[in-house]
Amino acid sequence: MSLKTKRNLNALLLNFLALLLIVYVAAPFLWMAIASFQGENELLKRPPSLIPQNPTLDNYNYVFTGKIPTAYEVKGQLRSRISQEARLIAPALKNSFIVAGSVMLINLLIATPAAYSFARIVFRGKKAAYNFILASRLMPAIAIAIPYFVIIQTLKLMDTYLALILIHLALTLPFTIWFLSLYISNIPREMEDASLVDGCTPFQSLVRIVAPMMAPGLVAAAAFAFMTSYNEFLFARFITQSIDSQTGPVIIASIAGNPDASYSLISVCITLGLIPPLILAVSMRKWLTEGLSASITFR
Amino acid sequence: MAVSAVAEQPIRRKARLWDRVYPYVSIMLPILVIALFTIYPVLYAVRISFYQYILTKPKVHPFIGFKNFTDVIGSYYFTNSLINTAVYTVAAVIGVLLFGLAVALLLNTKVRLSNWLRVIILLPWAIPAVVAGLMWKWMLNSDFGLLNGFLYAIGLIKDYIPFLADPALAKLSLIIAHIWKEGPLAAIFFLAGLQLIPSELYEAARIDGGGGWRIFRYITLPMLRPIILIVLVYETLTAILVFDLIYVLTGGGPGDATAMISWFAYAEIFKGLNLGHGIALSIIIALITLILILLYLRVLRTEEAVA
Repeated sequence: MSLKTKRNLNALLLNFLALLLIVYVAAPFLWMAIASFQGENELLKRPPSLIPQNPTLDNYNYVFTGKIPTAYEVKGQLRSRISQEARLIAPALKNSFIVAGSVMLINLLIATPAAYSFARIVFRGKKAAYNFILASRLMPAIAIAIPYFVIIQTLKLMDTYLALILIHLALTLPFTIWFLSLYISNIPREMEDASLVDGCTPFQSLVRIVAPMMAPGLVAAAAFAFMTSYNEFLFARFITQSIDSQTGPVIIASIAGNPDASYSLISVCITLGLIPPLILAVSMRKWLTEGLSASITFR
Repeated sequence: MAVSAVAEQPIRRKARLWDRVYPYVSIMLPILVIALFTIYPVLYAVRISFYQYILTKPKVHPFIGFKNFTDVIGSYYFTNSLINTAVYTVAAVIGVLLFGLAVALLLNTKVRLSNWLRVIILLPWAIPAVVAGLMWKWMLNSDFGLLNGFLYAIGLIKDYIPFLADPALAKLSLIIAHIWKEGPLAAIFFLAGLQLIPSELYEAARIDGGGGWRIFRYITLPMLRPIILIVLVYETLTAILVFDLIYVLTGGGPGDATAMISWFAYAEIFKGLNLGHGIALSIIIALITLILILLYLRVLRTEEAVA
């Protein structure tokens, strides 16, 4: 075998491996999206059709307007499989956005000054405070779920946005502070030192000099905080009780947990629920990748 | 001159005081939020673990010492969930590391299809674990799942396989879903590590006549070692604490084939309605993870001492 054919064969094999991995990663997403445009009868066929035979928007129509898909009217016996709950997905995603958006903003507002102090200022108790913040994340979620429930009940915050925001802040702040202080300590100091000599306070120098230089880090930190909050399930499941505060993952899990649920409607809810994080992941790919890389390679 | 010096002094003193207080002010809010959700939960959990808290007997909470712990540790379910968790962790971590390494190596080449992989690799990482679990539950469904449909269509199977109803297959299914969800992050970390390796090293090795495997074995792997270690520990913790996936995918079943330790704690509280048992178990889980982290810090320190 000549060197060239060997190299071609190698490239072919690697492309094949890449294709397998692409299918593995993408198939569940594609299938959810495809299923959401199919009627229930078509979905339950053996084998299911990869290309919808009668593509329909009826499922989406039902979720947004309450109009029962025609596929169900034809086959009367499937009527019970319509899940009323599916119609809650829109308000649930609204709740998710309000909570995750607030968590993201508050993270940036209060974690950035803290991260700056940890990275640049010498003060007594700094190390203890920093270690405390990092160690707080070492508690397994299942271990603190019940105490969290008790705290929220004591504060009379059951089923409110504020409860979710507080808990998600406690979950995200340690990572944001750690990540941003790592980021800041990798920025050269000269400009800041000059500004401090010129009479700036640390806060002024943070706002005017450092913040613009750490913009990519801030974007990545904001995205991480938003995603963590948007995706969080366990605590949201415990401290929300009604659609007043139930978030996307809670409603999706609850719909899918219903043994009588319609699969077309589940796939609509999942597809709708995944659109925000997927848009975020694709559009911010560069920042997210850089942020993640930085978090593991910075010293 | 003298006049201005006098006027300046109080301002400067004020500024100095503010400078001294500022760091504490800047970290106060995050510390308060974190403290509320750290110190109280720990104290609460430790206290509850020494009392009988059975949710169907809300008025009786006698002090019972270590009975919650001994009850839990002595039960069949504890041993079972510990073995399940250990097997799951080993399989999941190996799977995630191999997947991450394969993807990272591919993304680091000029293979044409790797560009597509690059665009979509973050997607599983970006979505809620419960939703990932639901998607895989559907993919693996024994009546209309896509995987069954595919195997059936290409003629590999005559009857649909009940992936989630068979103890061994249910474990395998969980691992497939777990690698899908957690592998991408490992891939990004490994890729970051690969890009730190100076290209001169590869060139030198190639000039010396090193083949693909030898270069991987003697250059890539050793250079990647610190990152592999970090990913190993991170993924071990993630696998030990797995909950969301099990909650939607198998519910600990069939039987107790996929009842991991976090699931056991959840079931003690919400199915057995024994808060004391559940909390005692949670504390045991917390201690196991703590020991692992200390072990990790030790390994990392010796690593740094060597390097």
